[in-house]
Amino acid sequence: MSGKDDHSDSISRYEPSGIEERHGIVPIWLAIVYAALLVWMVWYTIVFWTDKG
Amino acid sequence: MSTAANAMFEGGRAAPAVAATTGELFDRELILKYMAAGAFWLVFAPSVGAIVSIKFNYYDFLGHVSWLTWGRLRPVHVMGVVFGGFSTAVIGLTYFIVPRLCGVPMYKPRWGHHIFWMWNIALIVGFVSLMLGYNSGIEAGEFPLWVSIPVELVLCMVAVQVVVTIKQRTEPRIYVSLWYISSAYIWTAMNYAFGHFILPYYMPGVNNAAMHGLYIHYVVGLWITPAGLGVAYYFLPLAAKRPLYSHKLSLVGFWSLAFFYPFVGTHHYIYSPIPYWTQTIAIVASMMLIIPVWTVIQNFYGTFVGGWKNFQDSYPAKFIVIGALYYLIGCFQGSTEALREMQRLTHFTDFVIGHSHLTVFGTFVVWATAGMYWVTPRLARRELYSKNLAQWHYWLTVAGFSVMAGDLTLQGMLQGTMLQAGTDFVQSMVAMKPYWIIRSLAGITMDVGAALGFWNLYMTIRHGKPIPVPAGASADYLPEPKWS
Repeated sequence: MSGKDDHSDSISRYEPSGIEERHGIVPIWLAIVYAALLVWMVWYTIVFWTDKG
Repeated sequence: MSTAANAMFEGGRAAPAVAATTGELFDRELILKYMAAGAFWLVFAPSVGAIVSIKFNYYDFLGHVSWLTWGRLRPVHVMGVVFGGFSTAVIGLTYFIVPRLCGVPMYKPRWGHHIFWMWNIALIVGFVSLMLGYNSGIEAGEFPLWVSIPVELVLCMVAVQVVVTIKQRTEPRIYVSLWYISSAYIWTAMNYAFGHFILPYYMPGVNNAAMHGLYIHYVVGLWITPAGLGVAYYFLPLAAKRPLYSHKLSLVGFWSLAFFYPFVGTHHYIYSPIPYWTQTIAIVASMMLIIPVWTVIQNFYGTFVGGWKNFQDSYPAKFIVIGALYYLIGCFQGSTEALREMQRLTHFTDFVIGHSHLTVFGTFVVWATAGMYWVTPRLARRELYSKNLAQWHYWLTVAGFSVMAGDLTLQGMLQGTMLQAGTDFVQSMVAMKPYWIIRSLAGITMDVGAALGFWNLYMTIRHGKPIPVPAGASADYLPEPKWS
């Protein structure tokens, strides 16, 4: 393996497969999706914990 | 390897693909055997599904022979796709991927040959048993005890091989495929034992239903999903000829799947006597699976951006991309289907069947197919036998499967709407007949495509044009075929 791990553009190479991989980022739009789903999860769990008929 | 098996792979001419393999990083003969067997099961099991689907409209079609009745063939189809086609291919690909990522041969390499025969004989006995009416009664866990024992043994043996090989690796980092593949075997060795040795015998009543929800979803979420993702993540950067988009996203995808999937089990039992709060947890976990799915999709398409030109002649790339599209659609269906309002609409309809086909076949079988297209010519050291057959395989799969998935989804929503409006159940079934005919035709289209494609791979092994191997090339040398 070569390359740095502390930078999003750095590329690691796995041997002997020859696969390369960017350290990469989590895109902002995806981070927003994560946050929205986590908020929804808390809300839904609290509201629908029991059957209110 | 037996003389007969050698003859099968050598074909009619000298075959550089089947040199003695002792001391190599991976065993070419063994993997090609798995590819051939996987290809056979991937034609057999979906074809049984096509026969089963015809019975929806023509209920006495083959119905006078007890072996061929709907109730006996349907388990053969389900178990055949999951454990026959998909799993046989994945086990074979495991013997390629794991040593290539670890830099060391598979632990106990000879086990692979014993496992090959034990696995395939167990499948044959299993399907015959199911057709004879021996069924444990647990959906997706229907093999009787005498089949489940060797299957469990295989899962444990491969799990040991994978884990010890990873432990002995020379490559310091663990690529995401190894996380998924090792976890898939460990989880499934436990889940299969649960579903086949505990669930049918020791859990009666509602508890059995709740636990069955766990088992069947663990088959999908903790076997098919991680094993399929492990395969796809391995071949994605190789097929795209580009670096994987993001290691960070790989981490998020794996751990979010591992965290949320174990809780989704009871989402098929909404409005059942199972406690309300457990249903809520299952719904929430199902929706949270949007996180790993969208993460994987971003990672896959991020990898392909800028490399689309590599598509034209790469069948693995084509299958991975179309599989990713079905993954996005099928999993979004699955997440939203868990919501109470959607369950009310879709439960007891073919919407659910559409979803399961989109994920199991459209995504994971298609990704396993991509892996088979990548390894077969390289390990056989032969050009793909026919580009035309590969084209037909791809486009018949895309056309047939897209029609089938759309048809099942649409008819499910229509039937659900009819039932909600108070239509008599039998009348709603009669209204579904045209959709079932379309489903059968679409399924047959896919099956023809699969038969052509896997015949192509088999002929590649036997009669593909040999690719010259450079003098002094290592035993593990992988040539670059023209169309793969």
